[in-house]
Amino acid sequence: MARIAGVEVPNNKRVEIGLTYIFGIGRSKSLTILDTVKVDKDKKVKDLSSDDLARIRKFIDDSVMVEGDLKKSISQDIKRLMEINCYRGRRHQRGLPVRGQRTKTNARTRKGPRGSMIKKKK
Amino acid sequence: MARSIKKGVYIEEKLYKKVLAAKSSKKREVIKTWSRSSTVIPEMVGLTLAVHNGKKFLPVFVTENMVGLKLGEFSITRNYRGHTSRNK
Repeated sequence: MARIAGVEVPNNKRVEIGLTYIFGIGRSKSLTILDTVKVDKDKKVKDLSSDDLARIRKFIDDSVMVEGDLKKSISQDIKRLMEINCYRGRRHQRGLPVRGQRTKTNARTRKGPRGSMIKKKK
Repeated sequence: MARSIKKGVYIEEKLYKKVLAAKSSKKREVIKTWSRSSTVIPEMVGLTLAVHNGKKFLPVFVTENMVGLKLGEFSITRNYRGHTSRNK
């Protein structure tokens, strides 16, 4: 078990996949990271040398926004939208889809389970 | 698709002139506009614009955070008061 970027503990998967356990890193970013620090993406996480790990850690610490920082910046962005009272901010406040999707039906991801809207408002 | 950078941000010319005039004259009078698609530019910060929502002009006080969005985003067009509550 390796620790990268704080508390993340990817297991005996390939590094390419292991890195995606970190919030803010998906497949695409994972590949770019491994490419820039020159680590074989098909290596298992447990087979990484401490030097490899150090390089990955350093790169992530320096130039990738992950975990708490990323979550903070996202919530700040949303808060900003809500404060300036723009359309997108209003949609966030109401818990409705922000990007112009239909709400006559569907939109359940944003709205939550059916019939719970009254509870949500309170 | 995003607008090409070459063109710069969109803002209606008349509105742009009015904004500049208001900024230099330091008169803080409300500028009426129908141009909801105009971008909020840094020069507008501190001004109050009355943005038409199809029915009336809603006052929008421009702050720094608003720069880069469109005027229309601050003047809501829909009037939704919620569904009638089912009383038992």
